[in-house]
Amino acid sequence: MPPRLPLARAARCCSEMAIGAPSMFATRPASLVSLFAALSVQTQTKPQSQTRSASILANLSDNRGAYHKRIRKGRGASSGYGKTSGRGMKGQKQHGSVHPWFQGGQTPLIVSHGRKGFENLRADKMSEINLDRIQAWIDAGRLDPTKKITPRELILSGIIGRSYKDGIKILARGKTGLKMPIDIMVSRVSAAAIEAIEAVGGKVTTRYYTKESIKRLVQGDSISTDKPLPVGAEHVADILEKARSAKKHYYRLPDPTSRWDIEYYRDPAHRGYLSHTLKPGESPSLYFKVPGVKAAFVKSTKAKKVNAEDLDEKLF
Amino acid sequence: MAGKGLKSLSEAMNGLRIAAAQPCRALSSARPSPWISRRSMATEAPVANITRSVDEPWQPISSVPVTIYSFPTLEPRALESWSPKHLHLPLRRDILHLAVVYEGDKTRQGTACAKTRWEVHGSHRKMGPQKGSGRARRGSKQSPLLRGGGKSHGPRPRDFSTKLNRKVYDLAWRTALSYRYRRGELIVAEDGLELPLPDDFLQLAELGRLGNELEDSFVRKYIKQIMEGLAWGKANGRTTFITGDRRPNLFTGMEAAGEDGRAMELEDVDVKDLLETGRIVIERSALKEMIKKHQSDLVTRVAIKGLTSKTPPTGQLIAV
Repeated sequence: MPPRLPLARAARCCSEMAIGAPSMFATRPASLVSLFAALSVQTQTKPQSQTRSASILANLSDNRGAYHKRIRKGRGASSGYGKTSGRGMKGQKQHGSVHPWFQGGQTPLIVSHGRKGFENLRADKMSEINLDRIQAWIDAGRLDPTKKITPRELILSGIIGRSYKDGIKILARGKTGLKMPIDIMVSRVSAAAIEAIEAVGGKVTTRYYTKESIKRLVQGDSISTDKPLPVGAEHVADILEKARSAKKHYYRLPDPTSRWDIEYYRDPAHRGYLSHTLKPGESPSLYFKVPGVKAAFVKSTKAKKVNAEDLDEKLF
Repeated sequence: MAGKGLKSLSEAMNGLRIAAAQPCRALSSARPSPWISRRSMATEAPVANITRSVDEPWQPISSVPVTIYSFPTLEPRALESWSPKHLHLPLRRDILHLAVVYEGDKTRQGTACAKTRWEVHGSHRKMGPQKGSGRARRGSKQSPLLRGGGKSHGPRPRDFSTKLNRKVYDLAWRTALSYRYRRGELIVAEDGLELPLPDDFLQLAELGRLGNELEDSFVRKYIKQIMEGLAWGKANGRTTFITGDRRPNLFTGMEAAGEDGRAMELEDVDVKDLLETGRIVIERSALKEMIKKHQSDLVTRVAIKGLTSKTPPTGQLIAV
């Protein structure tokens, strides 16, 4: 047990001094030293005994999850599995077995209602990393918090087992354990993780990745960037010149093309890398327009001035 | 007067607090945007910039020092640097446990054997009528229900050995060495580790002038004196000497003075042996050989255009 500081007692002393209770005037402490003495480390009244064996061989065991309770049925009441051995009283289930999906002959639900929904086999599978794991990796020196943490650093450190999935998502388990600011760029981040990272002064950006683009980043065939590909004829000459002068060919990082992905990375709440393209007041959705915003951009319809000359020309 | 002063001070503080809470309206846009347009599609979180960086990030140890001693004077003869992946691994009790249990399992003789009812000696004649005797029905005399009968499911000779991944076993080996190193219980001696018995004794023993008893008692006393002097004996948990091959004087001597320690050859050593006695005294070449044999998790045996895997450095000389 760590030494316990008697802070409650010290606090009481300090509060009494501040209020100026009459008792304190009567028996004022001699000096500040006595106040500090109240904060001194107190030894435990009952010293805890430490046992040390002659050899570490006496203290070796596997991890807790490696040991499981051995259940021997029908060996007495104290085991919890005696007599009926967990089968209950009489019936087909005690003497034999019944299929778990059998409903006694009634039309099963799977026949009367069918199955619900479908499984999207093309859905993106994200590697999940929690904040407690990131902090543990930083503590062990496997991740450098002074540099920007990108999927390349994460995969090379082995925090997700050197696997390539469609992307990486940061989740917030153990968020109170994150003590240092980190600059991290991944595919997706949960709202709680954003809050936790920024609470300690960190920065988080989400950027569109594919499995192939992550692989190229790790292999060094792509350069990490948090800016989208430039669009427009004015950029062509500059980029061509850079590509031709460079010794090695670097693959560019792709931008999202599907509606869901574009909307995800346009959203500032996700710290998306396309959120700077939003106009003030614009919603990240490509379809739903925020009501009332259109009025700000559309010119107000003004009543046409009726000229006297125009009136004369008209017949009716 | 003091009360009035305090009151005005607290009011001023309150005023400051309120002013800080309310945003400056003058700087906001002339036409405030409606609340609904400021809503985003997902949950909100406040934005902040990265404010500071770490000055000195933690760097792991790159090498560990090992002193090479002479035996039995324990004079430091050389200082070497070894890799932390060999001698400074973190203590993993679960991995050590796996290795010790694996070694214990494969050491089992597995020769226990109980006779079944068919192996117990005797005739298999029926021992009484099926009905009418008033007693329980009995078949043969060797039934497991009867005294003197066979055992239904007794032990049978079998192989108790289990498997353990080679890399896990090698990691356990180096973890045991790291554990000893960190506790200062790994003493690396110069090559040619041998007990320096006095010449006159050796001459007499060769001539056969002393009997076995006298030789043993002299060697025992000699070793006891050395061990007491070095504090390596029985009172200090005994010592294990590990050499590459059998050293006659050392091995026979430690057999005679068994209560103070033991001597073993490199090929006979197990992870359990490394963890047993109070300390390990190993000669440098034996330690190097031992680590070379147990680093399969660091060195790949997959050959791509030849074996190009680099082993971590073992025993680079710093000073003599």
